[in-house]
Amino acid sequence: MHDVGYVAAGYAITMATLAGYRWHLAARTRRARRYVSAVTRHPLGGRRPK
Amino acid sequence: MRYLYKALTVAGSYRAQRVMGIATLAGLAATIAIGLFVVPPDATQGEVQRLMYVHVPVAWVTFLAFGVVFLASVAYLITKRIQWDRVAAASAEIGVGACALTIVLGSLWGRPVWGTWWTWDPRLTTTAVLLLIYVGYLSLRMVADSPARRAKWSAVVGVIGFIDVPIVHESVVWWRSLHQQATVLRLGPPTIAGSMLATLLLAFLSFSVAYGYLMAVRLRIGRLEDRSAAPVSSPTPRARRPRPVGIATSVDIPTSADIATSAGTDLHA
Repeated sequence: MHDVGYVAAGYAITMATLAGYRWHLAARTRRARRYVSAVTRHPLGGRRPK
Repeated sequence: MRYLYKALTVAGSYRAQRVMGIATLAGLAATIAIGLFVVPPDATQGEVQRLMYVHVPVAWVTFLAFGVVFLASVAYLITKRIQWDRVAAASAEIGVGACALTIVLGSLWGRPVWGTWWTWDPRLTTTAVLLLIYVGYLSLRMVADSPARRAKWSAVVGVIGFIDVPIVHESVVWWRSLHQQATVLRLGPPTIAGSMLATLLLAFLSFSVAYGYLMAVRLRIGRLEDRSAAPVSSPTPRARRPRPVGIATSVDIPTSADIATSAGTDLHA
């Protein structure tokens, strides 16, 4: 029974780490895009107005 | 080299990222479902052996990530193109996370099987050293003051640090170790059952796709961050930048020569 707990903990930690890192990258992308947009005065999304 | 970077750029497009994101989710879901509910448990270790389907692929991603750091560092040292430094930085960040996760998962597996969370076994110790090397790599990137210097220093560490990767892999062969020997990445046929091997290969594939996906997202951030830093960074060394006369700012750090001059002493006297 204890073994199942170790297995569940292992899988949960792995998936939480992956999800957490992806969330961290998303937050970092938003921050960088906001900064670039403010510096270059181009709208968010990275495309220049036509 | 040019074509490799072009392939990475294509992989970094929004559409490719979307496809890789969906493939990552599907692959990981399949790995969890098959690893937990379909494959039979190990005859000796029982249920806890199911940790193999996450521990071994995460260790593989660690090697893959540090291998990419090595190749990108060599490419930077040859070509001096900052894109390679960006690839190395992205891969090192993912590799450090994967290496830490490998140690945690190994510890969770070791407690019920070996009766201890940690022991100074050659495989565990060399893996801990590997983690420290690349934590040092990331720390070095934070302290270097110019992009070119940062890229050069980190490329050198990226090349030298990779020496530990084959040592980690071969540690179970070279020294007496509690850790089991290689079962898949070895000369000769694998030594595990067919259904377990198939699940393990699926897990390898899923985690490799996850690595590719995270790399693509992280590279995009690297490009954005370099773009945002571009107007601030200057190719001229900090000491040679013109200083505003009579205005003291928080970033205007005086050199020892400035201090000596203001104190009326001549250092060369």
